[in-house]
Amino acid sequence: MINKIFVTLVSFLFFFNLLNISYAVEPNEIMKNKDHEIRARNISKNVRCMICQNQSIDESNAPLAKDLRVLIRNEIKKGKSDDEIYFFLTERYGDFILLKPPLKLNTLALWFLPFVFLVVGLLILFFYNKKYRKV
Amino acid sequence: MVKQILIIPSIFFLIIVSIFFYLLIIDRNPSEIPSNLINKTIPFFETESLFKNKKFISSEEFGNEIVLVNFFATWCKPCRDEHGYIKKFQSKEKLRIIGINYKDDPEKANAWLKDLGNPYSDVPLDKNGRIAIDWGVYGIPETFVISSDGIIKYRHVGPITKKIYKKINLLIATLKLKK
Amino acid sequence: MIPSLGNFTLWLSLFFAVFQFFSSRKNKNIKYISLAVIFLFFSSLISFFLLIYSHVISDFSVINVVQNSHTTKPLLYKIAGVWGNHEGSMLLWMLVLTLVNYFIFKLLNKKNSSFILKTLEIQAFIIIGFLLFTIFTSNPFLRVFPAQLEGLGFNPILQDPALAIHPPLLYIGYVGFSAAFSMSVATLILNNKKNIFWYNYMKPFVIGAWTFLTIGIALGSVWAYYELGWGGWWFWDPVENASFMPWLIGTALLHSLIIVEKRKSLQAWVLLLAILAFLLSVIGTFLVRSGILTSVHTFALDPSRGIYILIFTALLGGYSLILFGVKSRKFFDNNYFSSFSKEGSILINNIFMSVVCATVFLGTIYPLLVEAFTNNKISVGEPYYNSTVIPIMIPAIIVMGIGPILSWGKEDKLKILKKIIPSVLITLIMTIAIFLFYKSYSILGFAGIILSFWIISNNVLNIIRKNKAYSMSMFIAHLGVGLLILGITGSSVWQDEKIVKMKVKNEIKIKNYNIIFDQIVEIKGINYIAVRGNFLVRDDEKKIITKLKPENRFYPITNIFTSEASIHSNLFRDLYIVLGEGNMTNGWVVRIYYNPLVIWIWIGSLLIFLGGIVSLNTNLKKLLKW
Repeated sequence: MINKIFVTLVSFLFFFNLLNISYAVEPNEIMKNKDHEIRARNISKNVRCMICQNQSIDESNAPLAKDLRVLIRNEIKKGKSDDEIYFFLTERYGDFILLKPPLKLNTLALWFLPFVFLVVGLLILFFYNKKYRKV
Repeated sequence: MVKQILIIPSIFFLIIVSIFFYLLIIDRNPSEIPSNLINKTIPFFETESLFKNKKFISSEEFGNEIVLVNFFATWCKPCRDEHGYIKKFQSKEKLRIIGINYKDDPEKANAWLKDLGNPYSDVPLDKNGRIAIDWGVYGIPETFVISSDGIIKYRHVGPITKKIYKKINLLIATLKLKK
Repeated sequence: MIPSLGNFTLWLSLFFAVFQFFSSRKNKNIKYISLAVIFLFFSSLISFFLLIYSHVISDFSVINVVQNSHTTKPLLYKIAGVWGNHEGSMLLWMLVLTLVNYFIFKLLNKKNSSFILKTLEIQAFIIIGFLLFTIFTSNPFLRVFPAQLEGLGFNPILQDPALAIHPPLLYIGYVGFSAAFSMSVATLILNNKKNIFWYNYMKPFVIGAWTFLTIGIALGSVWAYYELGWGGWWFWDPVENASFMPWLIGTALLHSLIIVEKRKSLQAWVLLLAILAFLLSVIGTFLVRSGILTSVHTFALDPSRGIYILIFTALLGGYSLILFGVKSRKFFDNNYFSSFSKEGSILINNIFMSVVCATVFLGTIYPLLVEAFTNNKISVGEPYYNSTVIPIMIPAIIVMGIGPILSWGKEDKLKILKKIIPSVLITLIMTIAIFLFYKSYSILGFAGIILSFWIISNNVLNIIRKNKAYSMSMFIAHLGVGLLILGITGSSVWQDEKIVKMKVKNEIKIKNYNIIFDQIVEIKGINYIAVRGNFLVRDDEKKIITKLKPENRFYPITNIFTSEASIHSNLFRDLYIVLGEGNMTNGWVVRIYYNPLVIWIWIGSLLIFLGGIVSLNTNLKKLLKW
């Protein structure tokens, strides 16, 4: 009996816990349609938890993260596409909320430079090899 | 040709260091995210009001004068800390302030406002947090400055401080001039 | 008294560092220099111990102790807490810096005196820079009057053995590269006049730094996996990236030093890498401590600190890179080599490591660039790094498989083709076996398994062949990399999870395991109360494999909740269970994760570390003979 009361008390305390622990998705959020749920998880993994440090809403148990997870699932149910959902979120929170930076004018350098680095590196190798062959 | 290439790393480095220097000097908060709704019309919402019997419909309540919108909750300690400034906005600057009660218990809100004073002309209830999401709110308290034609002009995340109080007053003075 | 003494020893260290700087630069009196080096180390050691002492006795007149300690903290964590905060960690940084300084000094002899003295001069300059930073902006011995009654520092999440040792190991890495930096700058200044074998001296420091950086990073990931509750172990957080970048350049440096030793080519390239490795460590320090960005790891934000560190970084980096731009031409050679050779494969991988490093650097600072130029904020998160880094790593790993068995100078392509047939076969067999076992088909999984067994089979075969021409440390370390890739692939691609609400006595199946929620109990710990769920795990033969006992703890003193996952590991998978919210009537949220092959991440990292230690040992012996 005492054990039951104690356990209820401590679990009650946990209800208000808002810190550090990542509970992530809860059983009652999971959608019945498996494909929908997979979509929801994939979108959530790309959505940043705005009040955490570098976590996605899929990993964070912050209240806002949960609200957004539920909202995304509702939008999926309504038949919205992934792009429409991302648009919905960025309209309100800006591009910051996306963990994968969208390809825009201000991220052209971000997405193309790695490729440029690779090409430069391979060119260096190419010219080095060329010089070797001369000798 | 080779000599020029060899100096490139140092140039890149100094450019990056200058950018870092610039970011350190300016007044910025590394954890604050700029609102995506600046210079856009306020998002439409319709919800219950705490004190009035009729519904709060945003299209009716905005677009007439400069308004402050303050998202608050009784369970939020910084909201309590900044409440003095909110009251000052109403009493001293004679601004109309709408307090959106976020994810809260209406009875608690009632008691809280009775206890601390009510500067709000209206208190629409955002019980499930959906209105806040539409406004791009991520951390309460948040305060918005809405121009007289219903455009969001400014958003501050966190409690109002002396500095922000002055900043908002300055902004409002500028908006009034533009009229 | 003790804290004032501590502050005094900081000034003392500054005095000796300045003394070392001028002695190595001007009068070059060996006796003076040796006094400076030794006293510098000891005064740094004493400052460090005095701070530890203040923490251990809970001297709450010291601000650093008030902010970071608590009377109820266990002794081990009172001590570890000393370097878990910004100011205290600077003392650890100084300690390692002065120790490295001493090791550099130990190399001094008549033949290399101009080189070593120049190195000591540069090293002294670095020490002075960090000492000024510590004394003026981050002094751990500042007092508060009246002394406080209790401290504020009690975060149970940080009280963990892995987390306690993670910073010292990382710092040996970051600071170890300072020796390579100083030697590189010294070499550039002295301009190759006396044909100094700078690379022989640099190599042990690079290996040492890199080896400890490897294990330091690995321990951080181990901690994250066990503590944070969803099985993640790398998040591309800016501060993690700050440790990964020196590691990438360190890897490139480590390997190309071998080329310089063997055939004196690529000297200019290696001198640049040596500068960059330490420079990236310092830039990392800047990013973490300046307040320019926020992250889980950042210390207290303070722009004035940031400006100081940035100025120091600018001086260090500006001077060394401009010096490189002007002087490195003298180190060019005509010793070209074919791409299809051992040197060639090392060069190829150097390029890949550098490209990955440049990409990680770009991703890390890009949000800052966007903010500076457009006033907007964007995020660059895991999806970006996965899209860019993984495709570049794939060819790098393929080359890493063949590279070690190529000979110096041009290789016979046909001969090599014959040599690799066994490993190709083993790779294919193991790939098919793994797919049959895990029954999950994904391209990334496919690629990962092929790559990992490509590396594993090549290295295991080489160890068996016991070819004396090759170094054992390389095989151990490379084998470690293969196992690491195996672990990363398994845990990323084939993870399974079950998120359910369970009442006591409910059962659930995951893969071929039956998990039974046996009971809920209350636990009283030393400084916490907790709710624990007892779960029985049975396999398909109904045998009990293990009992998992996740807990949710509440620490009343600091009002902190933590969740302790319960994990059962074996070579094939981790079973990882977390207890969520709930109550007796409605049941509890239970999260069960099946994480394949995770343990190989840790085993692989450990092997890389061991390979490094063996190599360090070999290289130190070589140096002593010399």
